Amino acid sequence: MSPRRLEAGELELGGGLEVLLAAALEGMPAGARVEVITPSRSTALELPSWAHASGHQAVSERAVPGGPYAVELERGPFARVLADPLPEKRPGPRLRDGELHTADLRSPAEVPAQADPAAGFTPLGALAERGAPAFRWTLNERDALWADDVSELTEQASAGQWDASRDIPWEAARGLPEFLERAVSQVMTFIAQNEYGALYVPAGFLADVNPAYPEMLQWLSSHVHDEARHVEVFTKRSLIGGQPSYALASTELSLHTLLDERDFSGAALLLNVLGEGTFLDLLRFLEHYAPDAATRAAAALAHRDEVRHVHFGISHVRRHIATDPDQTAALIGAAERRAGKLTEMSGLSPLLTEGLTVMAAGSLQPAELARGAREVRELMQTMEDNRIKRLRAAGFDQRDAQHLSDLHTPNLM
Amino acid sequence: MSRTDAEVRVGAVAYHPRIVTIWEAFLEHFDREGMPTDYILYSNYERLVEAVLAGEVEIGWNTNTAFVALEQQLGAQARILGMRDIDARFATLIVTRRGEAFGEVGELAGKRLALGSGDSGHAAILPLHYLDEQGLDAASECELVRFDTDLGKHGDTGDSELRVIRAVAEGAADAGALGEPTLAAFRAERVPAVFDLEVAWRSPTYYHCNFTALPSLDDALAQRWEGALMAMSYDDERMRQAMDLEGVKRWLRGDRTGYRSLAAAMSEG
Ligand SMILES: [Fe+2]
Ligand SMILES: [Fe+2]
Repeated sequence: MSPRRLEAGELELGGGLEVLLAAALEGMPAGARVEVITPSRSTALELPSWAHASGHQAVSERAVPGGPYAVELERGPFARVLADPLPEKRPGPRLRDGELHTADLRSPAEVPAQADPAAGFTPLGALAERGAPAFRWTLNERDALWADDVSELTEQASAGQWDASRDIPWEAARGLPEFLERAVSQVMTFIAQNEYGALYVPAGFLADVNPAYPEMLQWLSSHVHDEARHVEVFTKRSLIGGQPSYALASTELSLHTLLDERDFSGAALLLNVLGEGTFLDLLRFLEHYAPDAATRAAAALAHRDEVRHVHFGISHVRRHIATDPDQTAALIGAAERRAGKLTEMSGLSPLLTEGLTVMAAGSLQPAELARGAREVRELMQTMEDNRIKRLRAAGFDQRDAQHLSDLHTPNLM
Repeated sequence: MSRTDAEVRVGAVAYHPRIVTIWEAFLEHFDREGMPTDYILYSNYERLVEAVLAGEVEIGWNTNTAFVALEQQLGAQARILGMRDIDARFATLIVTRRGEAFGEVGELAGKRLALGSGDSGHAAILPLHYLDEQGLDAASECELVRFDTDLGKHGDTGDSELRVIRAVAEGAADAGALGEPTLAAFRAERVPAVFDLEVAWRSPTYYHCNFTALPSLDDALAQRWEGALMAMSYDDERMRQAMDLEGVKRWLRGDRTGYRSLAAAMSEG
């Protein structure tokens, strides 16, 4: 059989000819030959070096003075990539009105139940080459991570981004009376402190997640990013009035125990369902009683993000319990362990409740303060009621929900 | 793992830190093949040749120049235990600036010819030898521009050849010699100077490196070691990176037919 011919034309090695050659040889069986025709003596003289370096052979040369020149190459036996051949081309994912949603990249059935702990960074649809160094991921099971609407939640996170420097009417926060600014600053500092906790928990899991679950990576990254912005916005609100305040040790103790939870689902219950859930009510309260438009906007925007985080937690825990009912006890155990470390905590710090009371009162007049104190008591009750509702939605029965809510009481986050 | 139980010690020249990466991977391969091997690194080929002759190592991973020198000092034929696929079809290229290529080697007379390290078979000794065979005594008829930057390492580092092509590209020389795989490597790395050059001449092919042992090496051991070497596969994902670093895709059993030109050149010189 006469060899295939490849006209190099004006192309040279290093100038594009190598691309044509590689494509031609890639599709040929080992031992098959291609005759390269080139008008350039230099290219003809150089072709053997390219062939040998690429694992092929130069088998014959016709060096006619004046050219054109013909160099016959034989395809070598080696695959360029140490992997199975690529599967057949297939239809790409569907679009929704021109939008390509993460949830449409693969069907739920295609999400692997178990991923190889040593696997590398293999994007969806790609084939991993053998011989890459091994990783040691620790979160390798779908059911330990997943929520059915995780991709949709991530879409919402991308769509709902906001800017803590530009989207808040910062000018409006200047010039509050000193007693009020002191109260707002203390409450903002408390919230920012908690936002650190909410950032470090997902961030701590993020780099343990097997790359076979890009949906989870995208979700956790959005969560981390949201919380970084929350730290930013509440820190900025505390700073804008120039009034310093305390980062309290009791808050720190509560957050410390939150970071101790190294089980993903345990952390989802403690942080997303209980902590961020409780924060939803706190942020609503602040939005309502904010003495200025900047504080109000910060609380409203953070609330919008927290709704997603809580939704993920409920969705994950519900799926987790449904897949394995034994997990109920393990999850309750996580809350009990945390509570066990917080026996010396007697409830919320007076500095926080006083700050909330002053914000709700808007004044130091006795009648207003009494009303403010009542609003704060009602907030605590609302927090408890809603906590139980969320726990029920996550799949716990009434008794367990009440128990978990009680265990959570000394913490907000 | 302890290497004190190695049955074979291989000497190699440390021309680059990657030599350690290569040999650590190779040792694991030899272990898997049941041929426990260790390696000892030397800073230059003269030391390595001494070490083989003195029995300090059983096998030397020699350049062609080192192999020929070893046989000359031994005064007898050494034993060749394998070579890389590229060692069996090595060639030297002479490059010029674009549009300035010569047709016959005689046209190089009176020109400046850049050469790599003087002890490099492919970048200095053999180009002079083959040009001479083709009728050009470059040593007297050309102005030689020598870059002796990796003496003792026989051109392994590629540094002297990089200087050769830069000298040609910049006009400090009219033509320059370098090994064929070196040019392929420069192309692959997109070394800018290469784009200004064209290939004007290609030498006949010759042999390059080989694993050399003394004739006294035990036959059975030699065969086991060579068998283990031949079993190394480029399709083995544990070996591909190290084999790429070593520039080998397949190990071949060596012979001495490809060293005649160099032996002749070195006994003249
Ligand atoms: Fe947050
Ligand atoms: Fe959150």
